[in-house]
Amino acid sequence: MSKRLAVIAASMLILVGAMSLKSAVTSKDSGAVLMANGSAPTPPSPWK
Amino acid sequence: MPGTMQYVVWLVGALLEAGVVVCAIKRKAFRRYLFLNLYMASEVVASAIRFEILQHYGFTSLTYAYFYYYSDALLTILLFLVLSSLYSEVFRELNAERYVQMGSVALFAGTALFSFAVVEQFSDKLLSRFVLEISQNLYFVGLLLTYILWAAILKLRETRTRLIQLVLSLGVYFSLYAANYALRNLYPSAEALFTVLNPLIGCFLPFAWAYAFWKLPEEARLAPAGLAVTPR
Repeated sequence: MSKRLAVIAASMLILVGAMSLKSAVTSKDSGAVLMANGSAPTPPSPWK
Repeated sequence: MPGTMQYVVWLVGALLEAGVVVCAIKRKAFRRYLFLNLYMASEVVASAIRFEILQHYGFTSLTYAYFYYYSDALLTILLFLVLSSLYSEVFRELNAERYVQMGSVALFAGTALFSFAVVEQFSDKLLSRFVLEISQNLYFVGLLLTYILWAAILKLRETRTRLIQLVLSLGVYFSLYAANYALRNLYPSAEALFTVLNPLIGCFLPFAWAYAFWKLPEEARLAPAGLAVTPR
């Protein structure tokens, strides 16, 4: 049980870290969208 | 409309993605890295459909934009599964696969909930905003997970060269995108340059993975660093 809790706690910690990193990277948000799959040309976002 | 250069980069990227699957089949590594190959095959299919839509409806059409962003979200989820399968591969000898799966599910659910909480405040296009948000959030989760996996590889003294190459290329790929994105936000005036760089970065991962399958045999091992002997 403690191992499972440790896994969930670690997952949440990673999530917090990732969201902090995202906040740091997007702190000067210019409205750009991060798309990270493939080499197709990125269209303008229709909902920004 | 995209220029000739963008079409060329797109074609090269798609060919490299197909190349990864071909190399993996040739080296009999398709099933071992199933999710990785499925991801690359999906990239090729998505590229083909995107091209078809682009030709029919145009670059600025809503159809292309919606298909692009929705398919990107699905591909990011697949990339997350790739990362999870790489974790399973690294932790296989510790019999920790069950915990890796549990962690992946918890992380995915947490990211989905967080993304929903962010977009909940908007009244329109909730689903589309959610798709975009979860795609972006999973990307940052993936970035962090890759470096944690790299640390685990170092700690466990993993020596499988191909596996290390696959993980490291993923780390470089994520980092290049993050750097490009951060610079684009910092210098909005030079956005055109960073937008051109985006597809070029997209070609890096299939190239590095194709190289890993083609050049590095499964049994290749990295020689551990020599121990320094100091006289007493």
